[in-house]
Amino acid sequence: MRSRWLAVATALTLSTALAACGSSNDKSSSSASTATTASLPGKGKPAVTLGDKNFTEQYVLGELYAQALRAKGFTVKVKSNIGSSEITDKALTSHQIDFYPEYTGVITTELAKMSDQPASAQDTYDKAKAFESKRGYAVLDKTPFFDADGLAVEPAYAKKYKLVDVGDLKNVPGKFRFGAPPENKTRYQGVVGMQKAYGLKNIDFKPLTIGLQYKALDTGKIDVAAVFTTDAQLAGGKLTVLKDTKGIFGYQNVAPVVNKKVLAAEGPAFTATLNAVSAKLTNAAMQSMNSAVDLDKQKPAVVAQKFLQANGLL
Amino acid sequence: MSTFFDAFGFFFHHLSLFGSKTVEHLELSFAAIAISIVIAIPLGVWLGHIHRGSFIAINLSNVGRALPSLAIIAFGIAFLGLGFFPTMIALVLLAAPIMLTNAYVAVDGVDRDAVDAARGMGMTPTEVLLRVELPLALPLTFAGIRTSAVYVIATATLAAVVGGGGLGEIIVNQASYGAEGVTAGAIAVALLALFAELAFAALQRKVTPKGLRTRENLQRADGPSAFTPGT
Amino acid sequence: MIGLLAAAGPVIPNYGGGASTCARANKTFCMDWFRANWSDVFVPALGQHVKLTLIAVVIGFVISSALALIAHRYGWAETTITVISGTLYTIPSLALFQLLVPVTGLSVLTVEIALVSYTLLILFRNMLAGLRGVPEDVRDAARGMGLTDRQVLWRVELPLALPAVIAGLRIATVTVISLATVAAFIVDEGLGGPILRAIQSEVFKTELLAAGALTIALALVADALLVLVQRFLTPWYAAGRSR
Repeated sequence: MRSRWLAVATALTLSTALAACGSSNDKSSSSASTATTASLPGKGKPAVTLGDKNFTEQYVLGELYAQALRAKGFTVKVKSNIGSSEITDKALTSHQIDFYPEYTGVITTELAKMSDQPASAQDTYDKAKAFESKRGYAVLDKTPFFDADGLAVEPAYAKKYKLVDVGDLKNVPGKFRFGAPPENKTRYQGVVGMQKAYGLKNIDFKPLTIGLQYKALDTGKIDVAAVFTTDAQLAGGKLTVLKDTKGIFGYQNVAPVVNKKVLAAEGPAFTATLNAVSAKLTNAAMQSMNSAVDLDKQKPAVVAQKFLQANGLL
Repeated sequence: MSTFFDAFGFFFHHLSLFGSKTVEHLELSFAAIAISIVIAIPLGVWLGHIHRGSFIAINLSNVGRALPSLAIIAFGIAFLGLGFFPTMIALVLLAAPIMLTNAYVAVDGVDRDAVDAARGMGMTPTEVLLRVELPLALPLTFAGIRTSAVYVIATATLAAVVGGGGLGEIIVNQASYGAEGVTAGAIAVALLALFAELAFAALQRKVTPKGLRTRENLQRADGPSAFTPGT
Repeated sequence: MIGLLAAAGPVIPNYGGGASTCARANKTFCMDWFRANWSDVFVPALGQHVKLTLIAVVIGFVISSALALIAHRYGWAETTITVISGTLYTIPSLALFQLLVPVTGLSVLTVEIALVSYTLLILFRNMLAGLRGVPEDVRDAARGMGLTDRQVLWRVELPLALPAVIAGLRIATVTVISLATVAAFIVDEGLGGPILRAIQSEVFKTELLAAGALTIALALVADALLVLVQRFLTPWYAAGRSR
């Protein structure tokens, strides 16, 4: 009888050990690099945690930055799919992550809650940088590409109600069903802006997890979908994106927001690496990667790796 | 810790929000529970009555318990589209096995002596079913309905992820409602589930024939599928 | 100022030799995609899921055992323990996770605390029922043979309680495996990760089905393994009486 207990206990211990080993997809391992380890600037620097938000473009950005850093010897742990900007920012300020890629316009309008809309992409960036700096975070170089929110409708729907501009939605009799991520309910770059800047009073808000809005639009469950301008699904012009003449969706380049102390500890190569990656991210580049992930169902890590390799960043 | 106090403040400032979300939540839940009852109970009772299909009936609840609710709800929208109906179907899929297993075990396990005595008295099989088996099987069957119902109400929280509404909508939207809102939502749905549990328990006591309301029977009546947790 | 017209414009590579038409069309199940992504997506997720489950069940088992032994000795403790663990059990998982986040953050710790809470009621009740189910005459016989109370517990009561304990372990394990998918809302670990991401990519059926099926398979395998363990440890107990 004793021996049976012993056998079971051993089996249990072994399987626990096996599971612990087996799950070392632990993303903090350094990637294999052909460069001699002695010359890598990241070696010996403390590990950093990168966070990303809850949609494709963010997963890709996270992988791009993480892999580029690892190639330089840094130890990077990735916390993926954290949530919306508000939640990810909280993760940053509570030190659960050290940096994450954010959209400049989201920083100014939603995080800083600035009431004056910045007048240009550069203005947005400068204001974002100033805001974050006061809180103890550095904003590195911004990307060439920008990804703003947008409102998309089916072409037939646009034709029916003569929709060209976001403000034209007041032509829709009764309420129109607006499908968007939950946080849009209280965002200026969402329902609040649509009400305040465009005076729309007929919004029937339908919160949807990001990624479901296209399906909902296609199957007629919503009339208007909140989209990102670099979404793969928008290429090809199958949907009509309404013009944002009042600019509520702002200027949205991406820039890594990094804890200043961490930045200092990691050294100048850290900043240089991230900036080098950002410099390559044009609209075309980002859209191609989004497309590969969303439409071709490639994995963000693979897509990021291929891009970095093709551009000599890996 | 202050989040908890803020949560109560949040709740009282947003009574209509909580009201409408609770209504949505209960609509979805009750629809699923009702349909599950219609499908599962007659089937389970019948199988138990003819003492057939025990392998399936008992293992169904094992399999049912192994179904990850998030995945099932996602299957619903993957294959049936978005909306009330697919989410409801997913909930039925999760709830029905529990009810069926309990109903089966309840009727199948009715004291053979009682059944024999009834037949001895000249009752037809149908009469035996209606006048002897069902009343005796009621506690355990109802326990299945109760477990199922609480499970559905708890799982309906996930409907918000696929646009199905309900109190889950508050819980997944920390961006808009803040930590205090999420806490309030979480407490609200937990209370809803607890309240359902207590309500059904009281109901179960009511429908248990007086003669069976022994402490032993009421405890035993938590049934083989009792342990399906809130999801 | 970096602009679109910078001299060093990026090279846009071909991202995947095997970009699958099946996946693009989101057909019900694309075997090629599954095969290609098995080791990158599913194996790590599976490993994490097993780890999450094992930790939760083992810790839950330890705590519940202690609670059961306490309630076995001090009967009055039973109600309190049942009420607390019962309440925890009824709280919907997403809600419990979110209640813990302000305290323990977006971490595995949060997930584990919640998962352990879900095992308590099941394991506690089953263990207690198992201990209590030992016939009094067997205990008397053991005492009559001169065994101390502690020896009675370890050599008689616990072995006889084993079937009930394992029945509880089976239910708890399957439950945790199922619930651990919801953990993906907190940390990107376990099979819930692919499920959530599948939902976010226009409900990508292949990934969803694969992750869902793996979760179910894991639960059934764990259940079967525990049945085998039970038969191994208690060969005298007819395996048919599984509850």
